[in-house]
Amino acid sequence: MKRLFGGLAAAAVLAMIPASGTAHHSTAMFEWGKEVPLKNATVLRWEWTNPHTFLYVTTKEADGSEKKWAFEGMSPNHLVRGGWGRRTLKQGDVIDLTYYPLRDGRNGGFNITVTFANGKTIKQIDF
Amino acid sequence: MAKTFRLMIASATALAAAGSAPAALAESRAPADPAARSAAYAAIARLPAFEGVWQPDWAAVTRLRAAEGQAPLTPAARRELEAFHAAKEQGENLQTEGANCRPVGMPGVMRYPYPIEFIYSPGKVNIVIETHSQLRQIFTDGRALPEDPDLLFNGSSVGRWDGDTLVVETVGFSPLISLIEGLHPTEQTRMRERIRLAGPGQLAVETTITDPALFSEPFTTAMTYRLEPEWDLREYICQENNRDAADAEGRPSMDLGFDSLGLD
Repeated sequence: MKRLFGGLAAAAVLAMIPASGTAHHSTAMFEWGKEVPLKNATVLRWEWTNPHTFLYVTTKEADGSEKKWAFEGMSPNHLVRGGWGRRTLKQGDVIDLTYYPLRDGRNGGFNITVTFANGKTIKQIDF
Repeated sequence: MAKTFRLMIASATALAAAGSAPAALAESRAPADPAARSAAYAAIARLPAFEGVWQPDWAAVTRLRAAEGQAPLTPAARRELEAFHAAKEQGENLQTEGANCRPVGMPGVMRYPYPIEFIYSPGKVNIVIETHSQLRQIFTDGRALPEDPDLLFNGSSVGRWDGDTLVVETVGFSPLISLIEGLHPTEQTRMRERIRLAGPGQLAVETTITDPALFSEPFTTAMTYRLEPEWDLREYICQENNRDAADAEGRPSMDLGFDSLGLD
């Protein structure tokens, strides 16, 4: 199982590098490879769609204000083969996550991992 | 009456070819005659076991990309590619039309990160491409390549069996596709694929592109695929929720939905 998904995951990642044969687009808008954590995020919305899934969360700032974040993710066609589904995340879930940040400084990036309150971690790329 | 006679001949030919040689003349459309239909499906059972869902082997794609960098280009093709890459300095060509949900065409259609499925039907080999839910039809019913083909993203294909290898010829490529990123086909571009089972659960496709205007000699690349017995092909409708874009010069943009959700 791990061997299969390893190759698949690498495939899905490398496909995002500009070349004929990419399914969708390049990763140039992200600091690809720089994994940054975000703790205690509350799920606002989980979009289980092609060509990318999207995860929207909120966090509480020190001053009590709310910050909203948007993360692009892998296609359901990839994720479903690693055990993710449309009900993996739901509004109100409190999670930690990691991501590769957007280069333009907006609140968001490309989601890499999600860790649930029970400590279980799931990965978008390396299953 | 004439059609029934022709089908009977095809059916007799199919039965006569029992053994390792599949019936190449099976009608690709549903035969009217029950005996011909039965013979056509029996012939399929004798074909190499290409059927199934196959995932591209990414190590092979990595090697293939390296080979593309060494492709034997003509001076004209070299100039086209140099101009394409030079424009990246101005921020152009950083995003392909894939970001606008446009399929990449041949040969890239066989090298997406999502699987393909081979399905036999009488007189043709169907290759279903999960990415953008595409279909390639490789007609094995003996028809010739079109003399004046329409210019399609995946071309028009005919195939014949060379032992257990399917040899596919494809012509008629749209100028909108890229053979290698930044290099567009001409109306003379032709492709030949040799498709065979390379080992347990492994399929090999060798692709040769010929176009004297672009390549100083035929350019061959190799791909392998791994059988995924637990997978079904899934739908992939890129326009479902596409937030990415490339403008006419290939400059990327992305709408993460900050505005629509009041996020900022």
